[in-house]
Amino acid sequence: MTSEAKNMNTVVALNTALAEAMELDSGVIVFGEDVADPEDGGVAYVTKGLSTRFGDARVRSTPISEQAIAGAAIGAAMAGMRPVAEIMMMNFSTVAMDMLFNHAAKLRFMSGGQTRVPITIRMATGTGLSTAGQHADYLEAWFAHAAGLKVVTYANPADAYGLLLSCIFDDDPCIFIENFLSYGQSGPAPVPGQRVPIGVAAVTRPGRDVTVVTYGPQVAPALKVAEKLAGEGVQVEVIDLRTISPWDKQTVLASVARTGRAVISHEAVRAFGVGAEIAATLQEELWGTLKAPVRRVGAPSCPVPYSRPLELAFAPGEAQVEAAIRATLG
Amino acid sequence: MHIDSVPDRATLVEMYRKMTLIKQNDEQARKVIMNGRLPMIYYSPRGQEVIPSAVSVNLTTDDYICTIYRGTHDMLAKGVPLDELWAELAGRATGTCKGKGGPMHITHPASGCMLTTGIVGSSMPIANGLALASQVKGDGRVTVAYFGDGASNIGAFHEALNMAAVWKLPVVFVCQNNRYGEHTRYEKTTAARQIADRAVGYQMPGVRVDGNDPLAMHAAARTAIERARAGEGPTLIEAMTFRFHGHVFGDMDPYMDKDEKSAAMAADPVPRYRAWLIEQGHASEAELADMERGLGQQIAQAIEKALAAPWPDVSELHKDVLAA
Amino acid sequence: MSVQVCLPKIGFSMSEGNLSEWLVADGATVAEGQALYALESDKSVQDVESPAAGTIKIIAAAGTSYPVGAVLAEIS
Repeated sequence: MTSEAKNMNTVVALNTALAEAMELDSGVIVFGEDVADPEDGGVAYVTKGLSTRFGDARVRSTPISEQAIAGAAIGAAMAGMRPVAEIMMMNFSTVAMDMLFNHAAKLRFMSGGQTRVPITIRMATGTGLSTAGQHADYLEAWFAHAAGLKVVTYANPADAYGLLLSCIFDDDPCIFIENFLSYGQSGPAPVPGQRVPIGVAAVTRPGRDVTVVTYGPQVAPALKVAEKLAGEGVQVEVIDLRTISPWDKQTVLASVARTGRAVISHEAVRAFGVGAEIAATLQEELWGTLKAPVRRVGAPSCPVPYSRPLELAFAPGEAQVEAAIRATLG
Repeated sequence: MHIDSVPDRATLVEMYRKMTLIKQNDEQARKVIMNGRLPMIYYSPRGQEVIPSAVSVNLTTDDYICTIYRGTHDMLAKGVPLDELWAELAGRATGTCKGKGGPMHITHPASGCMLTTGIVGSSMPIANGLALASQVKGDGRVTVAYFGDGASNIGAFHEALNMAAVWKLPVVFVCQNNRYGEHTRYEKTTAARQIADRAVGYQMPGVRVDGNDPLAMHAAARTAIERARAGEGPTLIEAMTFRFHGHVFGDMDPYMDKDEKSAAMAADPVPRYRAWLIEQGHASEAELADMERGLGQQIAQAIEKALAAPWPDVSELHKDVLAA
Repeated sequence: MSVQVCLPKIGFSMSEGNLSEWLVADGATVAEGQALYALESDKSVQDVESPAAGTIKIIAAAGTSYPVGAVLAEIS
């Protein structure tokens, strides 16, 4: 990568994906709280410019009504459109749980395949901004547990762009998880039009000694730890799942079959989290091959705290990932 | 309410056809359950036949409905075919949903029956979405959301009505007020003199109508559907009615006022309308008796066909969860 | 051709019911719609009607609980 490689900010990447999707397909409509330009184009400006460019029939600021927002997306999708609805923060998706769990996830199956729900629901979350217990939760395990939903999250702007495009044009309901701190980050710009396939993980850093399976905000700390441990002769392979459900079992199993050691790391609470599902699968499939018990890194079982030092202690980081890796090395 | 004109003879007779189809289907359904031939959770619509019959003659096949678990009348009035309906009730592979949805999730897009939901209130936000698509596409379709009086107290009702009004969606909210939300009387649960009053809060027309009067129901439905189709926005219709067979079939409704119930059953709207049609010269006894016989046979045949149909293969568990 | 009399599901969570008493004798001639037995579930006691006309052969015992769908009698 040269120093002239073009970088792109995450918000710009998401915004670009939305605009391109809307340009490609007149069935793509966008709505959510404050998303239109008169309302500033979104709380994080992800939808900025869209209503001006595509009109207010296709881009709408909604009332504060998560059930109605999710329901409108579901119904419009059933009538052949590709709605991209925003639920401002992941915690607020709880208000729309009936729509998402009892309807979006289940209508294809319950209708015997007659109705489809090709919606994308964007929702943002993450610690680090002192937003406390109701504005920072990672709930991907809840969504992943619902057969019929796809759950996706990015760790860099190019993947944000590519995954969002894939979700919009996917025929199943997709939960697209954004991260607050990621909005201020930049990275290599995506190749225009290049979608990231759903269900495919990225081996962000190859390594022979231990596999770290991670996603979203935990990818960066994993890479830093990998760099540090390389200095000690330990090669850490970092896999960014990109899709949480359905996760890329093939890539993960192949990696852990080679390394024999695995750490799963996510910002979400450790107990009953995505790591538990992956760890269980690894021990079922690779029992005789594993050189150490599978380790999981996640947040403690408490609501996200307000006070800054508590919030910093809550979110797992390099220290926890490093400790988990060392534990597998015995 | 002022009724401008009586519908033409064909429409009047068609409304009766739908009503008697629903009534007879219900009678045969209760019989097949009581005989133990089909163990099924069944929410009888008996007593509420007029509402969807009068609404549906104002809709085209392309228009959409969303209904709820007490929705067999809504489905049949919209045109969901008997054979596939019964096969689905019986959980067979030939059902509308390959046996995977059952009575609470009957879906038949070809007749516009886009959603049956088992969750009180959930028909409305999704009806809004169908209407939103029509609005963006400009295809002129109208969506009807059916729900009960109990549903007017759930949050989704308020969110959906507000959004539909703000966006002037081509949707008609038809509340079938049978005076009981599950086992509890309206007066005990609802802080509104009448549900139609809630429309004022959402700046849309709120119309209370005798849902058992076919002409009044037809007129109210026609006005609301035309308004929606013209892009003028939603209407809340509160159609008063009564259910004859409890909340869920098997429920002996001890919580109901016995006199209220027997009075409602004595005023059964279906035979009353039948008598009116003949007396007004819109149909003859022979014509209607013939129609009833034919429908009765069709229903009976659909039931037998369903009970003889194959079960879905276990492999269906893994189909239609996600796209192929 | 005989018609089976099966225990119906008459409640949301009902999986079995008590055949509390037979209202006709074994071998009796019954009419369609005639009350055959009293069915007790946890919510109610109801008389269950005959699905057909004919001679009834009683299979199930009074005062016993049976699962939904159990064959209680045959009419031929």
